[in-house]
Amino acid sequence: MIEILSVTGPASVQDLGRFDQYRFGVGTSGAMDDVALRAGNILLGNDENAAGIEIPMLPFKLSFGRDRAFALTGAGVEAEIAGRSIPPWWRSYARAGDVLTIKAMSHGARCYLTVGGGIDVPIVLGSRSTQFRGEFGGLHGRPLQPGDILPCAASTATIGELGIEPADLTLARANASTDETIVRVVIAGEYDGFDGPTQALFWRSSWKITPQSNRYGYRLQGPAVKPRVPIEKRSHGIVPGVIQIPPNGQPIIQMRDAQTSGGYPKIATVIRADLWRVGQARLGGKLRFEQTAYTDALAAEAEMSAYLDRLRTNVRLVEEIRACR
Amino acid sequence: MTTPDRPRISLLGTSALLFEAPGAFDLPHQRRIWSLAATASAWPGIREAIPGITNLMLTFETPPRELKTLITALNDGWDEAEGIAIGGREIKLPVTYGGEIGSSLKSVADHCGLSVDDVVSIHAAPLYTVFALGSHPGYCYLGGMDPRITMPRRQTPLQRSAGGSVSIGGSQTGVSASPGPSGWHAIGHTDWTFFDPSWPTPAALVPGDIIRFEIERVIR
Amino acid sequence: MPIELTDIERLAQILERSGVDAIEIEESGQSLKLVMDTGARMAASPMLAAAAGPAADHSVIAKADVAGHFLAAHPWRDKPFVAPGQRIEAGAIVGLVKIGLLYAPVIAPAAGTVDAVIAETGAMVGYGTPIARIRPLGKISPIS
Repeated sequence: MIEILSVTGPASVQDLGRFDQYRFGVGTSGAMDDVALRAGNILLGNDENAAGIEIPMLPFKLSFGRDRAFALTGAGVEAEIAGRSIPPWWRSYARAGDVLTIKAMSHGARCYLTVGGGIDVPIVLGSRSTQFRGEFGGLHGRPLQPGDILPCAASTATIGELGIEPADLTLARANASTDETIVRVVIAGEYDGFDGPTQALFWRSSWKITPQSNRYGYRLQGPAVKPRVPIEKRSHGIVPGVIQIPPNGQPIIQMRDAQTSGGYPKIATVIRADLWRVGQARLGGKLRFEQTAYTDALAAEAEMSAYLDRLRTNVRLVEEIRACR
Repeated sequence: MTTPDRPRISLLGTSALLFEAPGAFDLPHQRRIWSLAATASAWPGIREAIPGITNLMLTFETPPRELKTLITALNDGWDEAEGIAIGGREIKLPVTYGGEIGSSLKSVADHCGLSVDDVVSIHAAPLYTVFALGSHPGYCYLGGMDPRITMPRRQTPLQRSAGGSVSIGGSQTGVSASPGPSGWHAIGHTDWTFFDPSWPTPAALVPGDIIRFEIERVIR
Repeated sequence: MPIELTDIERLAQILERSGVDAIEIEESGQSLKLVMDTGARMAASPMLAAAAGPAADHSVIAKADVAGHFLAAHPWRDKPFVAPGQRIEAGAIVGLVKIGLLYAPVIAPAAGTVDAVIAETGAMVGYGTPIARIRPLGKISPIS
């Protein structure tokens, strides 16, 4: 088990998400950066859907009740355990009683702590992810607090240090700069309700990520993008990644804790293979949208799964080489 | 805007597809949506078929390589869909109108040029049908509100509205299942439990169920 | 443990599958280096070995334990893991070897002061390639 010693922002237990409960009004929840969560679990030999802790703000401190392998992925952080500094995207190990301290965040917006075996909170409606609005899943359906004890499942994870090149580097997109994230989107139902110049403005603009951005949604700031005539839809289902345009013309990207339905016009949807990039985009940073065809979005998903396959094989290979010695 | 006479089908990235039925926001159309949902949920590659208000979202287990087959199936499915009656249980919800949680009761009355008592009796008179679940766990979209108590949604949503709030938003009414932000006007509240993840079916109500609001108390 | 032909085949398959450029294994009396034909450049591990010089003094050498490209600093960090003159503990990371998508740490075998980082960033290193020379603590000249 691990004990939370100090928390700064709304850290929570998340797995990949809860995907088949929309008909009860239950959204997906799940890691904002699913690639980082998977990578941590791959390093530890866990099921990729094993739950970890999503940490959006630092400092964060916890102690390990037993010897255990763990990994830090996602955001680049300064972290330390038992006097050792832990590089980004890294598997390390704790001895019983060791305290892990995670300090400053230099890259990205969310750090993931995964542990050998995974965080073993109960599965509720098919997932261990925290459902904040419904107050279930995760640990008692709420953000973590100092004093919380999290059970960990049994693990055979290798106790040896190993790192992964941050996905940001391996999967870097051309033209992306350090403070501007480019994400691919497929146009959505009301795209044609915007005239040509307005559509062009949407593509051309570098959108500022406002401080009101979180797990529910990313609220963007830029030139007003408004449809030809106001559009009010009957309430319908929406998914993470949908970009809505409320009456003020400032886009909102629905994220993992978004409502499951909405009625604002939708201009586009961030493709699944790029949604993690939004999850790691920092407040105050910039976002730009690049139009992608549905078939290209599918190809991007195939590339993502090829990347994850390669990661699994690489980890197995290095583990085998080391075991041979 | 004129309502198109053919369904509209649009993509939600590679995760889902949205089918919007032509025609009015009424029970006969909604019954066809329920029918189409039942059919589509059995199609290969479909994870869930989720009714909205005269629309249907299909989430993908595996996104289809090409969309034509699915689009044709949806259009044909809609043409063939016979309205079905589902749910059908009648649930009485005791409501305290007004008070701290229902603090917009007076402003709705003022907006509609009615007395507080009129708003309460008009709101509590009809049998409401659960058209769809969505928004947050256990929340029900209801059909059947008397248009005399219509009030436009708030310009700026409230950061936090209480769980159990009975609210009006435009020509719709509903009851929130848990505390959270809301752009609607709360006119009362109920202590009823709409959602519990430990129940075999976590939501208390399903589409097609009937709600009758019972006036427990009016705080003027 | 002699290296069998089947091992080589298996390793070659693993390399191909994983997109790793090269692998080098040295056992007593034999060594094996597999390089995928990807137009890869081979920097010289023998040269690096020479640069390390004989460990005639009491210094210890931190060596690579997998083949790949050496990184003195994590790409997300400005500063290298260690610099000459720095005190480090046994087990400290002195650099990384990039192998495919992974970073394998090069570990200090003993506590001490970093004398020199021998390998250069970007250089191809192999199993046993010296990476850093460390002057151990507590092994000061015998008492006169």
